[in-house]
Amino acid sequence: MTSQEQRATTTSLLPGHQNGPEATEAVISIAQPHPPPPVHGNSRQLPASLLTPPAPPPPPHLEDYRNIIGQAQVDALRFLAREVKGKTIKMVNSTSVGGGVAEMLNRLVPLLSELEVPAHWDVITGGNDFFEVTKAFHNALHGSTYELTKAAQEIFLMYNEQNRERLQFGEEMVVIHDPQPLALVRSRQKSHANWVWRCHIDLSNPDAHVWEFLRPFVEQYDAAIFSSQSFARQLPVPQYLFYPCIDPLSEKNKELEESQVQKICNDLGIDCSRPIVTQVSRFDRLKDPVGVVQAYKLAKKYVDCQLVLAGGGAKDDPEGAVVLQEVREAAGNDPDIIILDLPPWCALEINAIQRASTLVVQKSIKEGFGLTVTEALWKGKPTIAGAVGGIPNQIIHRLTGLLVHSVEGCAFQIRYLLTHPEFARRIGVSGREHVKENFLITTNVKRWLLLFRILQETKSLRPA
Amino acid sequence: MSAAEKALPRQPNKPFYFNTSEHLLRIGRERATTLSELLQALQTCPEDSIFQHTFRTLQEHHFIRQGFSNDFAHWSLSCCHEPVLAEKLASVDVREFTAIEGLRQRMKEIVEEFLQKHPRSGSRPASEPFFFCASDIVVLPTAFVADSLAGFLEGLRQVSVHSIHHHFIEARLRLHLMSNDFSQWLEEEAGLPRTADAIERIDIYTNTMESVRQQIARIVEQAVN
Repeated sequence: MTSQEQRATTTSLLPGHQNGPEATEAVISIAQPHPPPPVHGNSRQLPASLLTPPAPPPPPHLEDYRNIIGQAQVDALRFLAREVKGKTIKMVNSTSVGGGVAEMLNRLVPLLSELEVPAHWDVITGGNDFFEVTKAFHNALHGSTYELTKAAQEIFLMYNEQNRERLQFGEEMVVIHDPQPLALVRSRQKSHANWVWRCHIDLSNPDAHVWEFLRPFVEQYDAAIFSSQSFARQLPVPQYLFYPCIDPLSEKNKELEESQVQKICNDLGIDCSRPIVTQVSRFDRLKDPVGVVQAYKLAKKYVDCQLVLAGGGAKDDPEGAVVLQEVREAAGNDPDIIILDLPPWCALEINAIQRASTLVVQKSIKEGFGLTVTEALWKGKPTIAGAVGGIPNQIIHRLTGLLVHSVEGCAFQIRYLLTHPEFARRIGVSGREHVKENFLITTNVKRWLLLFRILQETKSLRPA
Repeated sequence: MSAAEKALPRQPNKPFYFNTSEHLLRIGRERATTLSELLQALQTCPEDSIFQHTFRTLQEHHFIRQGFSNDFAHWSLSCCHEPVLAEKLASVDVREFTAIEGLRQRMKEIVEEFLQKHPRSGSRPASEPFFFCASDIVVLPTAFVADSLAGFLEGLRQVSVHSIHHHFIEARLRLHLMSNDFSQWLEEEAGLPRTADAIERIDIYTNTMESVRQQIARIVEQAVN
């Protein structure tokens, strides 16, 4: 094999990209029960079963979580719900599929309803012009510069007005997610509900013009919720902290049989008999995948390990493809670096890779909350991560994981964890407990019930 | 446990109601980017914030056996790189206080003394700001009510660690006594003063809340058997 052939050539997996010999190899690979993984440098041929999304499993019931959080916590949820039994909640966001908010609402709404707190979920509608404006607002609120035009403001207000006329607000609590439907709060005069704005984005450094345009709407709410203390703004309304959360029963986080983990890793060409260092994230410079390769190479001088970079985003994002190419170049012809460009529905495969890993890295340079860190901690994996965004909320240095600030620091901690398994085990155990306490969907159900109760009590104290 | 104490357990006069408390985290107005700002905010922040960053943070990190005491100590070390100050703040035992105001004064004194000795440290920027938060608390019943020592042990084993924290640590703010709900009940209702004392002496800073639960159960078992 020439060095040219050995260079990383990560396989395209999306439908429409299946032509050529790679697709043929993939089809052959699933026809055999335990095919040897085709290895070409650090690229791995992936099973054809990953080419189409699996049917989603039915959502779990509250009782399904009992073995995870304990009977006492399930009881606490039921006691909390009793005070707001029969009172209704409306959740409003801008999309029913894709993205973390829709994923979270898909689990939250049935669980609240099961607790006899009926929750309704409405999705606003809008034309392409609306979503172009709100996408620009989203980026501007994250700190990008943006020229806010009168036309953009009118488009935003017009679609909010259309949705306001279409939707009814007869519930006791209305929760508006993110900026897109923010102006629906104009309906609060006609409703008896508590209005809450759930902001999932980082507002610590927003474009001033966009924020000044949106702020008067935010100030009309009864409360605002942020994902991190550092994401909040000074506002005249109470602000609460709801950490993002994971579902321990989802495909990405549920317990797996050892044999299932082994099979998935075999299919992906990962050797479970040797130490595995993994980073799961899309191919994005802010996740510093090249830095992870550099850290691995520094560590590899001292300890044997494989590096798995499992991500996606290279197919539908031109920058992702460029970053993927940079990662391949950094990886060179090292067969122990395994680059997997996975489609978005490969939750089970991500789960198996994380569970097979000896340790997990998330060496982000900038981060929202960092749910991949939460996923790794939940699986009891010793985790090394950049001290950015919401990661320090999850990783308390040397207690629930290790925080790093450089390639060299990351390399040292990889070496340390691989050579100190008892310490690695201990922080893994604490990390899992930290997630169990603070970052599971059931904790968020509890937060919503607490907020509902507190707002209802505050309302009952107000003079008529 | 002495033989005399073992002879004393009696049928409790009143049952023990196991409750629990749930907290919702509110983001406060104060924030500190230096130790001087921390000192300033310690003086002006609401009592709820002092509670959150001391009593409540212990509950949030109940699974850590060593190395976590309160948020002020943690920030002093991880973001201000001041290990001396961090050790002094970490040594404050919340159970020595029956009111938040006293705890606030103690924290303030420690930071003040440190900054008098190390004035340059006051204005050095921290790597991350300290965001003051506070807790809204809701107290809830549990399914467990004990009208005997056996029932008490059963409840103790079944309730959540939040309930243990509620009765064992937060209780002194309610009782305004250097004690806890378990010790109060065991002494006053079950006639077990030494058992009550032994429970009060459990070190919460070198144990997880789960091992605190196990130690309480062991101490009560010794008194009963």
